[in-house]
Amino acid sequence: MSSVCVLTPIVVGSWPMIAAAVASAASSMGFTLSIPVEAESLSVKSRQKAVVDIDNSAVAEAGIELQQTITMYQGGLEIQVKQDARGALSVCVIGESHSKGELEAIGKQVSGRIVQQFAYHKLMTELRTRGFDIVDQSVSQDQSIQVRVRMNS
Amino acid sequence: MNKPQLDIQLGPDGKLVVKVSGVSGEECTKLADMVKEIVGIEDSRTLTDEHYGGVRILSESKEQTQVKASRFSGL
Repeated sequence: MSSVCVLTPIVVGSWPMIAAAVASAASSMGFTLSIPVEAESLSVKSRQKAVVDIDNSAVAEAGIELQQTITMYQGGLEIQVKQDARGALSVCVIGESHSKGELEAIGKQVSGRIVQQFAYHKLMTELRTRGFDIVDQSVSQDQSIQVRVRMNS
Repeated sequence: MNKPQLDIQLGPDGKLVVKVSGVSGEECTKLADMVKEIVGIEDSRTLTDEHYGGVRILSESKEQTQVKASRFSGL
């Protein structure tokens, strides 16, 4: 007997853990990361903006009140991954030559990839500590990641 | 004897599909529960039984459902 589970990841971790997932997602999507910027840079009037929340997300850092941001760029797009006052994460996409709908679609893609990278790193780290080894791994053309792990004892 | 194995697919939208194999019954359920505990919310779980040559859906759930199913569920 075997089982097949469909799961939705919860993205809860320290800011460094989340930043690592954002960096992995940015790299795999061809974005260039910059150093964190102040929120004021969002308010450029001539540009369209769309904000997509990352579902089930929170930055778990006791007592932290910083609203941290990571910014990435690609082809006239500026994408900010931000932590709000409650610790929840969102993706803000800003661009001049895209409609709001297009920016929203890009935001959803980026959000999905951040969740994917976060879940991948968390799962692999936890499975290694529980005695599993990676025996096979590949990335499909649609950017799905396939991993086979097996218990080593 | 087969070793417990997980085949994991992480979609670009963040969804995960995990197939547990190499173990049966309660061990299989425990491994599926472990993955759920690490990852987050379970949207659905399908138990398959190769003895019957097909796939039987024993339980489907939204959010953190504990699935308790035995190999012989009276069918």
